[in-house]
Formats: sequence, C-alpha cells, structure tokens
Amino acid sequence: MDLTYTPEQQAFRAEVRAWMEAHVPKEPLLTLEGRAGFDAHVEWERTLAGGNWGMVTWPEAYGGRGLDLIRWLIFEEEYYRAGAPLRANQNGIFLLGPTVMEFGTDEQKARFLTPMAKGEIMWAQAWSEPNAGSDMAAIRSRAVRDGDDYVISGQKTWSSRAAFADWCFGLFRTDPESRRHKGLSFILVPLDAPGVTIRPIRQLHGETGFAEIFFDEVRVPAANRIAGEGEGWNVAMATAGFERGLMLRSPARFQAAAKRLVDLYRAHQRDAAPSAREAVIKAWAEAEAYALNTYKVASTVMAGGKIGAEASLNKIFWSELDRALHRTAMSLLGAAAELKEVGGRVNQWLEGYIFSLSGPIYAGSNEIQRNIIAERLLGLPRLGAG
Amino acid sequence: MNFAFTDEQIELRDGVRAYLEGTHGAEVLRRLDTEGGRDPVIWRGLVEMGLTALIVPEAQGGLGLGLIEAALVAVELGRADVSEPVADSALVAPRLIADEAQLAAIAAGELKVALAHPVNPWVADADQAGLVFGGSATGERLESADPLRRMFAVARAEADARMLDHAALIAAAQLVGAGERMLTLATDYAKDREQFGQAIGGFQAIKHHLASVAVALEFARPALWRAAYALENGHERAGVHVSHAKLAATDAAVQAAETAIQVHGAMGYTYEVDLHYWMKRAWALAGAWGDRAFHLRRLDDAVIGGAMAIGPDQSFETGMTHG
Repeated sequence: MDLTYTPEQQAFRAEVRAWMEAHVPKEPLLTLEGRAGFDAHVEWERTLAGGNWGMVTWPEAYGGRGLDLIRWLIFEEEYYRAGAPLRANQNGIFLLGPTVMEFGTDEQKARFLTPMAKGEIMWAQAWSEPNAGSDMAAIRSRAVRDGDDYVISGQKTWSSRAAFADWCFGLFRTDPESRRHKGLSFILVPLDAPGVTIRPIRQLHGETGFAEIFFDEVRVPAANRIAGEGEGWNVAMATAGFERGLMLRSPARFQAAAKRLVDLYRAHQRDAAPSAREAVIKAWAEAEAYALNTYKVASTVMAGGKIGAEASLNKIFWSELDRALHRTAMSLLGAAAELKEVGGRVNQWLEGYIFSLSGPIYAGSNEIQRNIIAERLLGLPRLGAG
Repeated sequence: MNFAFTDEQIELRDGVRAYLEGTHGAEVLRRLDTEGGRDPVIWRGLVEMGLTALIVPEAQGGLGLGLIEAALVAVELGRADVSEPVADSALVAPRLIADEAQLAAIAAGELKVALAHPVNPWVADADQAGLVFGGSATGERLESADPLRRMFAVARAEADARMLDHAALIAAAQLVGAGERMLTLATDYAKDREQFGQAIGGFQAIKHHLASVAVALEFARPALWRAAYALENGHERAGVHVSHAKLAATDAAVQAAETAIQVHGAMGYTYEVDLHYWMKRAWALAGAWGDRAFHLRRLDDAVIGGAMAIGPDQSFETGMTHG
C-alpha cells in the first residue's frame, strides 16, 4: 500500500488542471436532458476530444491516451474539481466502449471506438422493454437473420437521450425459439435507419431525456453484432458490470458535490436543522469512502484482478449516497428548494435531486443489486429456487 | 499510488484468521464466559503466533511491522471475538512506549499493558496488567454487558492524543471484524433455517437486509486502511481519518448486529445463540475510544469548520489548513 502519487502522476494532474482551467465553460451548460443542453454538451465532448481527453484509458489507436486507471482517477478528479459538464456520450464511452474493447473484433474497434472518443457519434442504450425491466431476460424484440443482415422488430424503452443520439446498442432475440437468457444477441443500430421511430418521453424534470424506440423491420448488417450470435446476455452482463462498477460514476463527481454541499451548509447554517449537520458530514465521509474504495478496486484491476458481483455493492453505495446528499441540500435550501432558479441561476440542487432519484433505479434497480449481493457474494438461495 | 495489500500482508491476515478459526471458536467463548474470561493458554498461543511482537521494533525482539499489519490483525481479533488484552497491549501500547525493556517484555508476552484515557470511564484488564499506561485504575470491577470484557474504574487518566488515535484505529478494525462475523453468522443461519418450506435466506426481505450490511462493511474498510496508512506515516490528517474510520466501522457493526439478531428471530434473543458475544462487543467498542459524538465533532471541525481542505483532489493529501 502506497497512498502517494508519483512525480509523474502529479505532473499529469497539473497538466489536466491547466487544460481544464483554460477550457471548462465558465457558466454551467443547460441540462443534458434537453435538446439545446444536449447539443451544448456534444460541443463540449468535441472540445475535450480536441485536447485528446475523450477517453484517456483507451489505446492511442482508438483515440485515447493509453493511461492506467490511477491516471483515469486523477483525470476525473480534476474534471469534476473544475466543474466540467457531464458527459453527453456516457452511454458510449463508459458502457459500450469497454464492451467493444472486450468483445469486439479489430474492425469493430476501429469503426466504433475512435468516433466515440472523438465525440462524433452519440450513443443510447436499448435494453429495457415495456415487459422487460428488472427482468431483462424477458426481452421480446427480435432480430431475424436474412443473408448478411438482421431485420429488427420490436420496442425498447427508457432509453436515455435516444431522442438526441445517433446510434443505439441493445439486446435482441436472434433465436425465435429461445427463452430467457439464451438466444439473445448484442447489436448496434443507427437511429436514422429506415423503420426506426423514436417517441420522446417527458421525465420528472419536464425534459425529454428518455425515449421509446420502435423498430419496424429495421435492416442492419450482421457485422453490427458484438460477439457471437446468442451470446448477447453475457455481453450485456459485462456491460452492466462496467455500468455498476468502476467507470460510470466516478467518485470525483460525489466528492465535488459534497464540497458544494459543505459550502451550501455554511451559507445556510443559521437556519439549518440540527440533523442537517450530521447529514453533511456523512455525505462527505461517504463520498470519501467511495473514492477510497475505487482506488482499491483500480489497484486490484491493475494487478490483474477482476470486478465481479462486488460492482453491485458499488452501485448501491453511490446511488444512495447521491440521493441522501441532494436530499440534504434540498432541506438546507428550505422554501427556495422548489424554485427552478435561485439568485438568477438554475437551481442545480433541484436538478441534481431529481436526477439522484433515478440512481437507485437505473443500471439495475438497487433491489436487483441486493439480490445479486445476497446470492452471489453471500451465497443465499437463488430467487425462486425455493 | 497503490491501494492493495502486499502478499506478505495477505499471508499474515490469512494465517491469523486460520489460527483463530482453529483455536478460538464459539465454544471457547462459552467456556470463557463460564470460567471468568481469561486463559493463559490462549494468551500463550497469541504470543507464539507473534501477535505481541507484531509492531514492536526488531531491536527489541519484535517483528517491526506497521499499523496496516496491526489493523489487519485487529480485524481478525474482532472476527474471533478475542478478549485477551492483545489489542491494547500489543497493537497500541508499543507505539506509545519508549522504554526498551518494556517493549521487549511486551514482544515476549511477559508484560501486559492496560491503557487509561479520560475518554473512557474504565481501564480494560487493569488487574492483570503489569503496566497501566497513561494513568491508573482502582480495584473496583465494573460489569460490562459484554461478558468477556473485564473493566475497572479509572483512578487517574491523562489525555494523550496519540493513544486515542491509535486505540480508536484498532477499535475500528475490531468493529469491522465483528461486523463481518455477524454477517456470516446471520447468513449461515438464513441458509439453514426453514420456514414456509424453504430456507429463509431465499426470501428477499432477508436477502436485502443482509446485502445492506455487506454494503456498509465494504465501505467502512477502505476508510480503515487510509486511517492506518496516515497514522503510520504521521500525517497531520491522521486523526480525521481515524475518526472517519471509527464512525464508519461503528455504524456498519451496529447495523450488522441489529440485522443479525433480526434475521435470527427469537433465537437471536437467547443466550444460547453465539451471536450475542459479537453484538455486545460491538456495543462496547462503539462507545470506547471516542463515541460517535466525539468522532463526529472531529470530522465537523475538519470538514465544516474548514480545518482541512476537501474536494476530489484531496483524498490523499496529508496536511491540515493553517492560519
């Protein structure tokens, strides 16, 4: 255990800090969940790519810098320290990217990863269906093989930012006789293909950050399939592992939020409920614990270890700490909490609180995560096994 | 930057765990409970395992290891509910004592040191101690809810910040170990106990309770390792990190205890089920070496009071703010 940064790591931090200070927009962008805000965030993705910061851990051949996970953590710390915008392409870079890296062919890596790192193609996820939410193995959307193509029909839902994205990745049933986890394939689909219809869904905050995607005999080349036909479930589980595990929610995001919460507390100290003080300290402590654990996991992975069901511990922890942190902020704001603008600026605590309510639901609900922990880490009987 | 244990540290932990699993099972706790709490044979075994020599410098016959190793061992002491005074005497006192003869005697297992500090209204194991460090105890025995703790009223105690931080770290480690053991006990019971024609561990209500305990323990551990590292390296922030670790370990262990008794149902409310030994140890350690209020105040001064810079780039900084 050596909890000090090398001179090279410190120099890297200084380099990121200088770039962020020069490039991060001075005013917060409009919300990522609306059209105008999404476009502004895409613009930011391209600025990032211009500095070659699109995805620092990826190989240089695919638009990255080939850096290790410790440097990725340093990058993220400086990113959120500078108050940089959320990543418009998070579904692409954090979920699909690692999946393609692990399961894709060289041709697929060159074709999909580089434009992702450069911020050229924005990705949406197409997993859930009206009758396949927590029970994802109930997927019915089908992809029928026809020569060198698949013909896709069906409906996906809860697809974040699909109304604004260029492509989606999803699970489709390629074997019509199959049931549950078998016979599914992981396929990439351009959202401007003939037969694709996107119906935006208004979310809690009023923006259309969600959408349904309807596929009506949409033809895509079989070369868009990641890994073998019928192997989609395992690929999707790996993707879900990336989502819950290291990458999607880097700890720096919560540490930065906890720091802002402390500032908010100091500004509202006189009117704050006694319980708010402990809640503020707890938010800081939990964000720290999450950061420390991420360093531990990164060290393990760098030494050749794997992330397994422990990713579920992570997902529960960050999503519940985020909700508690924002709940505390709302309580500190008191009567002003409901206002969309406070002091002439967007009430980011309100936006953040609303978003935090989705955390325990997306990426596999926290109930599903608790089942995974109980069954795979503690060895309790599988659901329905009794 | 590397947040992983060395192979030697993992070997040490696994060796101590295996030894205690083999020699210090629940039947030993029940026997000690009946016979009065301490057993020279157990003490001798811990000495032979090298635990009393662990952090004593090599020049005094010790192994010269550090606080990461001390905390790793303390987790195992908590897991096994070891009640011999090895934690205070061997994992804390050697960092406070300068006298070379005393250090050599601690390493050899010949000197047991008890610790007096004004934060505690008692001195543990004062009657058998060759040295009460930091103060003195009276002969009056105080009865603890934990049948395996032996407490004596404090006569005199001087505030010693180093003692407090070191002892709080080791208490936090024992709390993590106790929490892990209680999670295991409850999980094993849930796999075994059947109702409605199936193991109760198949029901989501039980699963989710236990999973929440696993989450709390998972995120108490890294706070413990950072605290051990900071204290070992003399960082100004060490006290703050120790307070974080103690709070997180306390909350996780108390949650483990309350969950474990609930999962055991009425059996958990009996003296026959072994769970109560760890549960009572968790209650005791929760209040020892600074209770929640004490450690919260230290975090409050650092985080809200501004005595320490915070933010995403600050996790491994070492200094406090000055001026």
